[in-house]
Amino acid sequence: MAVLAETRRVTKRFGTFTAVDAADLAVASGEVVGLLGSNGAGKTTLIRLLLGLLRPSGGDALLFGVLPSMSTRRRVGYVPQTLGLYDDMTVLENWSFTAAAFGSARPVLPESIRDSKDELVGSLPLGLQRRVAFAVAFSHEPELLVLDEPTSGVGPLSRARLWQDIRESTEHGAGVLVTTHNMEEAEQCDRLVVMVDGRVAADGAVADVIGSRTVVQVTCDDWRKAFAALEEEGLIVQVQSDALRVPGSPGQVEEILARHNLAATVATVPANLEEAFVSVVTKGTHR
Amino acid sequence: MTWGLELASVRFGTRTALDRVTLVAAPSTVSVVVGGDEAGKSTLLRALVGLVGLSGGSSRRPPKSEIGYVPATVGLYVDLTVEENLAFSGGAYGVTGQEFAHRSAELLERIGLADARDRLGGQLSGGMQRKLAVAMALLHRPGLLVLDEPTTGVDPVSRSELWRLISAAAAAGTAVVATTTYVSEAHRASTVTLLDQGRSIATGAPAEIVDAVPGKLGVVRSAVQPRGLSWRWGTTWRLWSPSSVLPEGAEPVQPEFEDAVVIASLAYERGV
Amino acid sequence: MWAMIVKEFRQLKRDRRTLAMLVALPVLLLVVFGYAARFEVSNVAVDVVGPQAEQVAGLLRAPFQVVDVDPAAGKSLVVSRLRDGDAAVGLVTGQRPFLVLMDGTQLFAAQAAEGALARMTATGKAGGSPAPAIAVRILFNPKLKTSWIMIPGLTGLILVFIGTLITSLGIVRERQSGTIEQLAVMPFRPWDVIFGKIVPYLLLASLDLLVIVVVGKVLFGVPFVGNVATFALGALLFLLVTLGMGVLISTVSQNQGQAIQLAIMFVVPQVLLSGLIFPISSMAAGVRWIAYVLPLSWYIDIGRGVMLKATPIKALVEPLGVLAGMAVVVLGLAMLRFRRDLAPSVRGGGAITADPAAVPS
Repeated sequence: MAVLAETRRVTKRFGTFTAVDAADLAVASGEVVGLLGSNGAGKTTLIRLLLGLLRPSGGDALLFGVLPSMSTRRRVGYVPQTLGLYDDMTVLENWSFTAAAFGSARPVLPESIRDSKDELVGSLPLGLQRRVAFAVAFSHEPELLVLDEPTSGVGPLSRARLWQDIRESTEHGAGVLVTTHNMEEAEQCDRLVVMVDGRVAADGAVADVIGSRTVVQVTCDDWRKAFAALEEEGLIVQVQSDALRVPGSPGQVEEILARHNLAATVATVPANLEEAFVSVVTKGTHR
Repeated sequence: MTWGLELASVRFGTRTALDRVTLVAAPSTVSVVVGGDEAGKSTLLRALVGLVGLSGGSSRRPPKSEIGYVPATVGLYVDLTVEENLAFSGGAYGVTGQEFAHRSAELLERIGLADARDRLGGQLSGGMQRKLAVAMALLHRPGLLVLDEPTTGVDPVSRSELWRLISAAAAAGTAVVATTTYVSEAHRASTVTLLDQGRSIATGAPAEIVDAVPGKLGVVRSAVQPRGLSWRWGTTWRLWSPSSVLPEGAEPVQPEFEDAVVIASLAYERGV
Repeated sequence: MWAMIVKEFRQLKRDRRTLAMLVALPVLLLVVFGYAARFEVSNVAVDVVGPQAEQVAGLLRAPFQVVDVDPAAGKSLVVSRLRDGDAAVGLVTGQRPFLVLMDGTQLFAAQAAEGALARMTATGKAGGSPAPAIAVRILFNPKLKTSWIMIPGLTGLILVFIGTLITSLGIVRERQSGTIEQLAVMPFRPWDVIFGKIVPYLLLASLDLLVIVVVGKVLFGVPFVGNVATFALGALLFLLVTLGMGVLISTVSQNQGQAIQLAIMFVVPQVLLSGLIFPISSMAAGVRWIAYVLPLSWYIDIGRGVMLKATPIKALVEPLGVLAGMAVVVLGLAMLRFRRDLAPSVRGGGAITADPAAVPS
């Protein structure tokens, strides 16, 4: 498993503002790494450092073991959030343009998008547009793929299909770096890197990031009153179908509900990825 | 008084955007509509609030002054400050003076923008813009709150805060209808409607939808896509069989809500 | 690099508005500079009055075109006809010297007339007959100052600019940011939204108008001798036309770039063909009809007439009427289209609401 992209304690400062602070990140061939973080956490800056669009203020950012350059650019495929496709050209025309730009010998359109080759990109549904964007980025067979929110706004089935395309590319030896806000998507990654305020706050498989965090689950007949009661006490309550989930200890929760004369069932359950993420982020910012 | 759509259809020329969809929006509940990008989610919401006319069926909604609507494009003024945006909404819905001061302070506190009153809408992050837009729609305590993809593209922390805002509104009595492409969010609702190409292919509480999943679900750990109706799940494949028998090599597994949604969509697509 | 070129062409071929501009603009410029951009007036409308009217009228050749001969009338008729814009030059016979009155607001007609008169007396002298004593008096713009006739036209230009371009941008901005949908769901009536959007621009334009007239007077000495109410009426009607155009453009544009393109196509012909720079009377007959279709042409009539000549309102019935008609048509169309954006059309099944009065139209 060759390491394709790597940052070693890379730092980037803009004036007095530190966007990225001693961050370590690695993407190896055959794996999908998910980069999570709030807006302004430094995800975009980190990616730019990796792609060679920015020069580090400290530390190293290496692509294929060397500093990013024109030749390394040919080995990277990038799909920005805005897709980077021309709405007023057909799928085939977009494909030809990229092929010509990268100098690839006009490979064949992949099956997944072949049926719509003569349609204007702007007229395709978003799910299909995203698959086209991915295919176009992969057309010159890059070793590293960087995808910015690849399935944002796309339905469940299209998401599954797009992830199929992504997985297939790793089977060809590519390494994929994905930024995402979507927990379902994060769960598809082999490894997660969580950024908070420019620092890497967590790095590991999904299960490792969740760790042993738990929340208290409350089932109550009058969920509205329970919600109001818990909120009043300053607890952060999330609603999940017909149950409430609150961080904290079961004893604390039971006591609050008892004070408001509410009968409820209280249980400790493992946290889900979103709750773990929120906890990592809020802990991180209170350092 | 419940609101909603009953067997509502919307046609644009020859294209049917919505086909006999029924949706119930009851006070103090959160109804979520899940679907892909061309499923018709926006059309459904537009039909509900009266932005498009129905070609069939009926809709029930309160008067405009009791509806709060946040379109997918957010709909706030980027060249007005946070305060000015709220004031505009207040003026439009007749929430002024003391009531406005009190209510806007309360909402700004809730969404964490109390110290950012004078920041321009365009200077807020995506997540904050959405929170402000939802606050604007809640200013007049509407009976019906309608949100079009409120959390698409929003970072997880803001998304979680948005959902608290939405839940609080429901707890206070509002009927909430929201659309999303995130299946995990649909899980938060008391009623979920799965929309595909304008048709409602599954509806009910999340647990009901999972129970209603036909056939059997299995996990296949192989490098190649197994034959049959299957889709990726991390490094494994999920394989679904319409009958109660799974093919060889598939370990049976209990479907999660996410699985149920994919199964429903697959089944509908294959006409199974 | 070749790939970039091919790509640009492909995109261009599908961008209909830009293509239209690429074709329309050169055609427009050709028409203008081929047929319309002339300063020489070949047709000067002349009134002849006084006892020797008939004889003198017979002597007049091109560029003079006799439009009225009235031996019984005198100087006052000529002055009022010049004021009303019915003639550019008037000859008052029956007195020594002959009085030639010219409308100074028709700059180029006056110059043409002067030149023609000089030629006539020269040939007369050469032919031996004594030069008749002629007194030339230029009315309304005695020094034939260009700024005097440009400033009223400029007021029109400002009104077009604010009315059309800026209004359309203001409305398209809402469409781009998605806030128009919101407005449609809020308890606003379509009327509230449309007028709410137009009124600020109406006020701004009126203010600008005032500033220009005042600056014109102070800096260039441009007079304002006519009836303010008449001027205001003309300006208002013209504004309504341009605002309506602005709203109309916004209903067919998805973004500000498109709105600007359309607005340019509306403004540029008016700048060149409305008589602002090149007199309408010197345009080739085949293209002169274009000027009559442009609202700015009619406004300039009113503006110049009222500011410089104190033209009474009854003489301006035609331009006022045309502007009013245009306003009705354009605004009507604009409102119709804009309402469709704000209120849905209910086809087939009805909508049941708790408050029947809230059923959208």
